[in-house]
Amino acid sequence: MKKDYWNKPEMGLWERLYIFEVVRGLCITGGVFFGNMWKWLTFRKGALTAYYPEEIRSDYSPNNRGRHVLTRRENGEVQCVSCNMCATVCPAYAIEILSTANFDDHFHPKAPERFEIDYSRCIFCGFCVEACPEDAIRMVKEVPDFPTYDRNNLWATQDLLMNWRPTCNPAKIYPAAQKALEEVHP
Amino acid sequence: MIELKIDNRTVEANEGETVLQAALRHGIEIPHFCYHPCLSIAGNCRICLVKVTGRPKLMPSCNLAVTPGMEIETDSDDVIAARQAVMQFITLNHPGECGICDKAGECRLQDYHVRYGEPESISLEPKNKKPKFYDISPRILLDSERCILCSRCVRFTKEVSGSHQLGIVERGNHSRLERLESQPMDDPYSDNIIGLCPVGALLSRDFLYQSRVWYLEPIRSVCTGCSRCCSVKVWRRNRHWHLRSLGEEMNRKVYRVTPQENREINGPWICNKGFDLHKFMGRKRLLQPMIGGSVATVDEALSEAKKLLAAAKSPAALVSAHASNEELAAFKETLGSRMTVYSREDYKAEEGEVVEDNILIRENKNPNSHGVHAMFGDLPWSVDSGHDLVLVWGDNVDYTPMGNAKVIHLASFEMPQERHADVLIPISTTFERSGSFTNFEGKVNRFTKVFDKPGLVQQAGDVFGRLGA
Repeated sequence: MKKDYWNKPEMGLWERLYIFEVVRGLCITGGVFFGNMWKWLTFRKGALTAYYPEEIRSDYSPNNRGRHVLTRRENGEVQCVSCNMCATVCPAYAIEILSTANFDDHFHPKAPERFEIDYSRCIFCGFCVEACPEDAIRMVKEVPDFPTYDRNNLWATQDLLMNWRPTCNPAKIYPAAQKALEEVHP
Repeated sequence: MIELKIDNRTVEANEGETVLQAALRHGIEIPHFCYHPCLSIAGNCRICLVKVTGRPKLMPSCNLAVTPGMEIETDSDDVIAARQAVMQFITLNHPGECGICDKAGECRLQDYHVRYGEPESISLEPKNKKPKFYDISPRILLDSERCILCSRCVRFTKEVSGSHQLGIVERGNHSRLERLESQPMDDPYSDNIIGLCPVGALLSRDFLYQSRVWYLEPIRSVCTGCSRCCSVKVWRRNRHWHLRSLGEEMNRKVYRVTPQENREINGPWICNKGFDLHKFMGRKRLLQPMIGGSVATVDEALSEAKKLLAAAKSPAALVSAHASNEELAAFKETLGSRMTVYSREDYKAEEGEVVEDNILIRENKNPNSHGVHAMFGDLPWSVDSGHDLVLVWGDNVDYTPMGNAKVIHLASFEMPQERHADVLIPISTTFERSGSFTNFEGKVNRFTKVFDKPGLVQQAGDVFGRLGA
């Protein structure tokens, strides 16, 4: 017999009787449901359902590439020098940086005024972290707070990205502020 | 003609040319910092060393006149070794902050460093500290640490602009660029040294940290500052790097204006007014058609203007010197025969501006006066010629001398007025259309559209087409 479509099932008598197969299916889903419920009620690991987005998962790998953070210097200022390497290397064009000049700080005359990441575009490849010459951007294991009703809310702003306090200092320590000018113009 | 061999290639050079010039003209690249085709030869950077067969030492090719039968090697091992050594010298005190340097991406030092430099500094001594971000003029910042003392800027003020306002002071490691102390730097061509600088030592205050250069793309346009009509590059944001979160208006912004080399008109230079062209174009725009001061749609404004034109007994037109040749032709075709045509100069020299010099700046501060005069003659407007309707085309217009005549005004920029025009139609700026200007010598210079025009703004040529139909 020619099949109507390529994977049309050939059902035996038992399956064509229908009611027994329905009961069998309900037993499978019901078993999983009550098993999950029992695990969840007794705080055991291995429940298949997660309370997304309220639940914060505890089992991310320590090197999971989750949300971005901007590291800070000891004085609390952002480490980023706004060189745009991350924005340039980003394959998804997700990073936008607006720079500002501060001539009083001789070590960091250039700093980001706005640093924004579009999480609706970000593909979490980690290239920005690789490209950064200042160890200013990193990815922590927690994922960003994704769910929202408006795609414009998927822009992570600088305040949000800086909202991270590491337990130890970032790898690159800057020289202590010293007198930058040896000779001064008249 | 002198025949010589460069890298086993027989090359023909002109009498009096240097080896570097001959090589560059034939597409053989020899690195160079201090050499510039329009400046005198300083021969101080030493990166252009080449091997001349028969001479014991390497020679700087920028300062080496061609002789018949000369044999030059530009990429032998000892030449490369010499370049690497020179790069070590030049970058000895260079801060290496390409990440925050505005020149990065179009910097000679960066390019050559990739080819000939060490990945890490091999110097044991700490780098020499020099003043950073020193105001050399209100428009230009100097970062002495980045300066490689090629003296291009100094030679520019001595030989091209003639202001002699820059010099190199102190000796050895302490050498630095310094401006004339007795007066502020007010060279009207000063911004050229920003582009002339082969490294990021001279920085434009206006462009400082606005964008990395690889996000931008140049569009060829023409400066409207005077009747010289210099070719300029207008830098807009590249389509791939359009911004979304930081504001759509950043994508419609001109980031900087730089000279476009045009041997027939301006050479490789423009004046500071040309560098400020984007500020001139960024003034408050007229965006809404008006009838007698109240908002109207484009169709209403055009039909009202048509009605006024039909009712007028002796209409006159004041033609803008900022109009392109194509728009002037469209005007002549559609309305030119019906009206008395007067020419007008949109802008006059402002106070403090250089009126005219013998380098580039011309006295007439409008780009296309020559084109207007060639097409319509140069009849000046007079109040008592008894017209009952005036079609004013161009900016910077005062309606008071029009008297009781009805005014149809086509303009791009806002200007405070005592009374309203009877019909006001906003038209595009030079950045929003393509066309050509004829400069004071009669040379035609073409410009390309940089941005799309805003929605209700009209192209002047289209307006004349619809009024004349």
